[in-house]
Formats: sequence, C-alpha cells, structure tokens
Amino acid sequence: MIVAEPKPLDAIRQMIAPYSKVLIVGCGTCVTVCGAGGEREVSFLHDKLRLAQAKNPDSIHNYFEYTVKRQCDPEFIDLLDAKTEGVDAIISLACGIGVQAIAEHFPDIPVLPGVNTTFNGMASEYGVWDERCATCGDCCLDETGGICPITRCTKGILNGPCAGPKNGKCEVSKDMDCAWMLIYQRLERLGQMDKMRRYYPARNYQAVPRPRRIVVKSNVAAGEENA
Amino acid sequence: MHTTRIETKHYPKESKLTDHSLMPPCQAACPLHMDIREYVDLVAQGKIMEALQVIRSTNPFPSICAYVCTHACEDACRRCQVDSAVSIKAIKRFALEFGGDRMIQAEAKTTHAEKVAIVGSGPAGLACAYYLRNMGYEVTVFEAHSEIGGMLRVGIPQYRLPREVLDIEEQRLIQMGVEIRTNTRVVSLDLLFEMGYKAVFITIGAHQSLRMGIEGEESAGVIDGATFLREVNLGLKPSLGNKVAVVGGGNVAIDAARTALRLGSSDVTILYRRTRTEMPAAETEISQALEEDIRIEFLSAPVKVQRESNQLKVTCIKMELGESDEKGRRRPVPIEGSEYYATFDSVITAIGQTPQNAAEFGVRTGRGSTIQVDPQTLITNKVGVFAGGDAVTGPATVVEALAAGKRAAKRIDDYAQHRYPLDKDGVAAMDGELSSHTVEKIRKIERLEPPVTSSKKRAKDFKPVEQVYNWQSATNEARRCLRCGMGAEILFQDKCASCLTCLRVCPYDVPYVDESGTIHIPSEQCQACGICIAECPAKAIVMRKPSSYLHINDELEHAIRSFSKSEFKPSIIGFCCQYGLFGTGTLANLWRGAKAGIWIVPVLCVAKIEPGHILRAFELGAEGVFIAGCGEQCARENTNMWIGQRSAKVRKALDEIGLEQERLTIFNTGEQNGELTNKLDEFTETISRLFLASVLMQEVKR
Ligand SMILES: Cc1cc2nc3c(=O)[nH]c(=O)nc-3n(C[C@H](O)[C@H](O)[C@H](O)COP(=O)(O)OP(=O)(O)OC[C@H]3O[C@@H](n4cnc5c(N)ncnc54)[C@H](O)[C@@H]3O)c2cc1C
Ligand code: SF4
Repeated sequence: MIVAEPKPLDAIRQMIAPYSKVLIVGCGTCVTVCGAGGEREVSFLHDKLRLAQAKNPDSIHNYFEYTVKRQCDPEFIDLLDAKTEGVDAIISLACGIGVQAIAEHFPDIPVLPGVNTTFNGMASEYGVWDERCATCGDCCLDETGGICPITRCTKGILNGPCAGPKNGKCEVSKDMDCAWMLIYQRLERLGQMDKMRRYYPARNYQAVPRPRRIVVKSNVAAGEENA
Repeated sequence: MHTTRIETKHYPKESKLTDHSLMPPCQAACPLHMDIREYVDLVAQGKIMEALQVIRSTNPFPSICAYVCTHACEDACRRCQVDSAVSIKAIKRFALEFGGDRMIQAEAKTTHAEKVAIVGSGPAGLACAYYLRNMGYEVTVFEAHSEIGGMLRVGIPQYRLPREVLDIEEQRLIQMGVEIRTNTRVVSLDLLFEMGYKAVFITIGAHQSLRMGIEGEESAGVIDGATFLREVNLGLKPSLGNKVAVVGGGNVAIDAARTALRLGSSDVTILYRRTRTEMPAAETEISQALEEDIRIEFLSAPVKVQRESNQLKVTCIKMELGESDEKGRRRPVPIEGSEYYATFDSVITAIGQTPQNAAEFGVRTGRGSTIQVDPQTLITNKVGVFAGGDAVTGPATVVEALAAGKRAAKRIDDYAQHRYPLDKDGVAAMDGELSSHTVEKIRKIERLEPPVTSSKKRAKDFKPVEQVYNWQSATNEARRCLRCGMGAEILFQDKCASCLTCLRVCPYDVPYVDESGTIHIPSEQCQACGICIAECPAKAIVMRKPSSYLHINDELEHAIRSFSKSEFKPSIIGFCCQYGLFGTGTLANLWRGAKAGIWIVPVLCVAKIEPGHILRAFELGAEGVFIAGCGEQCARENTNMWIGQRSAKVRKALDEIGLEQERLTIFNTGEQNGELTNKLDEFTETISRLFLASVLMQEVKR
C-alpha cells in the first residue's frame, strides 16, 4: 500500500496563498488506511486552516471538503464535477497519483499536493508503517528469502552484507535491522544457503524508460489487445 | 476516455444520523419497559430533573416502584457478568427524591364522552385510571377498603413503603380528576353499566389466602398472612404473643415475620419447606430479616396444629429435596419418621393467595380462581369487561400490575373508540452475553448499596429501612452502567477502508474482521467508549445514539456564544467529563463564576473529544483550552492515553499555526481538590500572560 505523510501546514498555506476558494479532497483508499489523507485528516486540515486564518486574518480563504473513494480512478473523480464550481484551487490529500489524476480531470484548476507520498509499505503494528517495496520492476525476492535488499538495505546492495553490520544492526543506524543479516538468517532457516553464496551481477541501473504502462485486458477481451 | 458513470442520486453519504440504539436487557426485562439506560446515564451526569422526566414518561407511579419494585432489570443487568448489577432501583429512588418528584403537579382534561369504572385500587387499577384520565376519559375507581392502594396499602408493611408516598399519588390522581370511591365494594357489574359506564376494568387482586390443609388449621391463634398484614396496616394491633411461627417462603412470609417482630414478638421463626436457594422472597428481604434475628427453619413444614393450654403445639416434619417440578424448582419430600414439635403463641400462614370471589362478577375464571382474559384485548368473556393485575396472573408484582393497568388503558381506549387493538412495534432489543475476553477488560467497580438503618434500631418501629443515596454515591453508582446497545456502529460501510484501526484501538477487543475483510462491531459487546469513532480515519463509525457524541458541538457553540457576550478576557474553554461533574464537587473547583472567563463544555467522557473540537474552540476565540477527565476514576479504560495522544496532535498543529503549545492542557478531576484549583489558577495565569503578550504584539504591529 502507498504510504504518505501530511505536508507541513506552512507549506500548504504558501501553496494556497493566491487562491481564495479552496477544495480539500481526500482519498478513501491507501491514505485513509495510513492515516494521512482520509476523511478524518481532510477535516483536521480544514480545521487547522480555518484556525490559522482566524489567528492571521491577512489572507482570506473559503474552504470546502470532500472525500472520494479512490482518486486514482477517473470515474470517482467525476463526482468532483459538482463540487468544483468557482473553486480556485484543489488540495489533494491523496498520493501523487491522485493529485495528477485530478489535475488531468480539471485542466483549468490548479491541483496542489497536501501530503508527501513517501513509500510503499505495510503496517507492522498500530500506527507504524515500514517501507517494503521500491517498485523497481525487477523482483528478486525469490533469491533473497522474501526480504527486499533494494528497499531494506540502506545501500541497496545485491551482494550483502557489507562490512558494516554490528549485532545484526545496520551501520547507518543501530535502530535498523541489517537487511542482509535478515536475509542470511532466513535463507539458513529455509535451507537455501546456496543462494547466499551465489554472486549477483550488477542490476541494470540505466534509467528505466518512464512513464511505464501496463495493459491488461485479457479478462475483458480475448488476447489480441493484450499487447 | 471512460464512459462508466457513477450514480450519485442514491448515495446516502450525507444521510442524517439517527438513533440506532438497541433496547438494553434491563429495559427489555422491565414490564413497563422503562428507559433505564437513559435515566441512569442522566443521573451519572448529574442531570437529575431530566432523569426524573425520563422515569415519569413510562411509569405512572415511580415513587412506589422506587421502594418496592422487585427490579427484574437488575437481574437482567449485564454488569452481573463483570461484578454485580447496577443498583437501578436505588438510583431511581435518588432521582425521585432529589429531582423533586413530590412537587410535580398533574392535570388532565376530559375529551371523551365515555366513562370507565375501575374495580379495585391496587397498582393495576390506579395505573389504568392514570392513563385513561390522561387520554381524556372520566374515570371512577371503586375500592372496598377505606383507603386506596390495594396490597400497597394493606399488604406491604410501612417500613418498606411509607404511606405518604401513596397519599401523594392519591392526591395527584384526584388533582387529575379521577373520582375515587372508597368503602365501596362492587357486587354487580350490571349496576355499573346501568350507571352509564362504557367499560369496566376488574383489578381485585388476590387477597384470599390459601389454606395449608392440615389438621387444626382453624384453631384460635392461627391467622393467615394477608389478613394479618391487612389488620396491621389498617391500624389494628393483633396480639400475637411472644413466640410466633410464620409458614411460607415468599415475600408475604418475610413481611409478616418482620411485622410481627415490630409489633413486639421477640421470637419469630419462619418455617420453609425448601432451602434458601429456592426461597421466592427477594434476597435482600431474606438477609434483612436474618439481620433482625428472625430465624428461618429450612426444609421443615407443619403437619398438625393443636391448641394446648393457651399455646399452639405445632407438629412439623423434615423435608428433603426431590425431583424438579415443571418450573424447575426441586420438590420437597417429607422424610418419614422425622416429625418433631414446637410450641408457639401464634402461627401465621403465608403460602399464597388467590383472587377473592372473582366468579361473582360472572366472568370466566381458570386455575387458582384467576380471571381469564384474551391476551391481546385483555377483555373477559363479558362485553366491555376487562381485567388485569393479580386477579388475572395470581400473586405477582407491583410493576407487573402497573404494566397490566397501562396496557388495559390502551385496550379500553381502543374498545371505546372502536379500534382494532394493536401493540406498536417497540425498539429492537439487544441480546447476547458479553464475551469472556471483553468481560476481562472491563474495569471492575464494586456495587454501592444504599444505606440502611441498623438492624437493632429498625426492628423496633415501622420507619423506612432503606435510605436514599447521597449525590456522590448515586452518580458513582450510575457510572457503572455499561450502556448496552448504544455503542459504536459502522454506519458507512462504503467508507470503511478495512484499515483495522478500530480493531487495534478498541480497549475491549470488540470489533472483528471477517474473511471478506468486512469489519463488524458487535452491538452486544461494545462498551460505547467512543474511542474508535474519534480514531477512525474514514469517519465511518458513529455512535448508535448520536446525541451522546454530537452534543459536544452544540455545547461548544453555546459556550462560545456566552463568552462572546462577556467582557472578561481571556476566555478559556474547558472540556470536562460530565460524568460526576455535578455530584463530585469537580464543578465547584472549575467554575469561577461568569467573570472568570472559564466556560465549561460538558462531554460524556473525554475520550469522545476529537482534535477538531479543540481546534474549533481556539478558532472561535478561546485563548486557552483545558480538558478535565476523570483520570484513574474513569469507568472506562485507557481514556487518559487517548486524550494525551490527541492533545499532542493538537499541540503540534498549534505550533504550526504560531500559537503557544501551553494554551492546551489536561487536568485530572480525580486529583485532590486543592491541587486541581491550584493547577487551574496556574493555567489561567499562563493564558492571561500569553493573551496580554499577543495584544501587545498586535499594538506594536499597528
Ligand atoms: C405482603 C405483600 C408484600 C408484597 N411485596 C411486594 C414487593 O415488595 N414488590 C412487589 O413488586 N410486589 C409485592 N407484592 C405484590 C403486589 O403487592 C401485588 O402484586 C400488587 O399489589 C397487585 O396489584 P393489583 O392491582 O392487581 O391488586 P391489589 O393490589 O391486590 O389491589 C386490589 C384491590 O381491589 C380491591 N377490591 C377487591 N375486590 C373488590 C370489589 N369487589 N370492589 C371494590 N374493590 C375491591 C381490594 O380491596 C384491593 O384494594 C406484595 C404483596 C403482598 C401481599
Ligand atoms: S466504541 Fe469503544 S468499545 Fe465500542 S467498538 Fe469502539 S473502541 Fe470498542
């Protein structure tokens, strides 16, 4: 799941400075789950902005809020049509995808990001989110015992560990597990130590041709469109 | 370009929040279906007058129930699973006494031409009279005795129900315009119809004592319990002698024994043929009798009475418990050869009663001479003749009689207005037990019994035994209520992202997720703490009873309106837990009069305060905000931790906005009184200083 965190209030206030009628749009999927951009946070941001305005009446804005199910599907964004009349700017509390999807839908309205999209991760316990996947497009988790060295090793090396780990912790921070120590222990447990001994050639670090696109329509129309 | 369009027409996103609360077990168990949860909650909040209103809305004579009700509600209370039931009856008594029930005036107007006659002035008859009169009928109550009240007057002893309570209710009925004819035994129903009554309600009770059917029962010195109590209650003083035996194990037996004691018999023994577990009398009655040194001989029954030289020689036989009867009570079986005898000055028999001469009215009677009625219409086999109370059920309880009278009033109204009698569908009842792991997590708080007069003192007279709670005990006891059936509900399943937050934050492990990923909050487990509601990132959860949550905004607006009119600056808003606020002296410590600039927003537990509420207080002009929760005295778990976290979030926001973090603070109302006062003074000083500084800054800017 995509994990994001709220932008500092100052940054948001600077972004909206030129606009008077501002719509805050939440997203009911990933950012709701990670607590950065669901309806609760939309309303909290709304409250903060109003309070800031009350204490500093120099700039006057009108705020509105609305949360859609998912900002990365245009069908849901249609629902905003009725809400955007006279709106000068939209703050989206979704990930960068949502921000862009809304921008694409409303070519004449500036769309501003209210959160920083941070990583792809999981909840390890209530309120704690950990990065797990770098979306590199070249998954090697079968070789590394289900632990991703690209994301979880600070250096992202493929033939770890480096000479740094101490007591299983990374040399960069003693609060962080060394990913390669974890991989080692896991492979040992699985009886796959041979994978540890193998040498992995350097990955292709040439820039990935972006943007990437995947077309999957096989479940809709047989084969031929699946190009 | 996509072509699919989402229908917006039927999307109920802004649907109004309505009361989805379920009927709690206490209310379901009460024959009158009193809104117990509501009035207990109001007492916990110190809103005694409102509690009284709720009580009076479903019970015509709550003052009577407050003394003698058998409280089926307490038996059904699910707090029993945690520690012991909430002391509902005593809380009701407190609300009545402190809410000024005796001052309440009643009035009614005649709007119907039809007149109704009620035969018998017990609770069933009086309740029926009360409701019919309220509906606008002219009502006459006929009572054979010189005073009204039925068993309330001639059965239940005064030390359990002071007679002034009855007198006040009688006065109110007269005020409403109910005609009361005492010393008037009705012998013919035809005569009543001739007198122009459209309908008759027979509530003659069950006053005929059952006979033991043993040799010597007629002997002088043997008296039946109902007659004995009636004589005492009507002012006679039967002489019993010193040594008295009472036969039976019900409330009448206990009442007779305790009355005999109060009349001066110092040696009173109850003979009961089963054991204490089977005894139908109320547990508190039994223990109070034992405290008064009344002896109970279990597994013993008289078989013969002989009068010998001014005394009664009673032959008894020992019993043992055999198989269970159809009601599940084990049958007593005599042990052969175990006869023994004892001598007494008097014997009082109290083994049950049946209605007296019901057949005289020409109505069909059934088992135990009880009157038979149609269960839906409450009508007898005679046109226009209805019946209810003990006369129909056999000896039962006051509250059942009241409920019967209330229902009969509706049915008689239907009959008079030619309507088909229908009971309106009530609220859905909540059922199910608390799961053991939820029980474990609920904070244990021992039940507080109301004070009673010491057994030495009380055994000498007929003054009330049970006393009323003081304010603090009542609110504390009321706070033990688990508020069954009004907890959290996922109202907007479509908004729910299955984020699992509610599962992770619930202090009672209530929500669960099924295989499909749908979250459920089982209504019978939820403790209505409200934590998940404030934490839900999708705002998908609401309280089944939204008023307990939404009112924070109303109260806040109210406080703001008051302070915007006030000259005094700076203004401080205090979100204070309303539970115990008024009773426990907390308010006195927080309230400094209108001039102090402190405005209280009462909340139903600080766990329900959201960061947005606090920001809003600042936005609307508060210079400082404090939250006063009950700390360790909170009836719920973890409240402090949550309010601490939310405050931290707000402080960060204040900082971002350029407001000092000290403007928000948390107090604990459970703290020593002086300490709380000091802390509040310190806080007020801080806010005054910050306020002054900000005013100066503005001047400088100008
Ligand atoms: C000693 C005792 C203690 C009790 N304690 C409790 C208790 O603690 N809690 C509880 O809930 N219940 C208690 N009960 C039971 C409760 O009092 C009765 O269930 C209740 O009073 C029944 O009400 P009712 O209106 O049906 O009849 P009753 O209260 O019996 O009233 C019937 C009335 O009809 C009158 N009457 C009869 N025939 C005629 C006629 N022909 N014409 C005119 N009037 C007539 C009678 O004089 C009487 O006043 C107790 C009962 C007794 C006897
Ligand atoms: S209201 Fe409280 S008890 Fe009920 S489900 Fe939510 S967190 Fe649990």
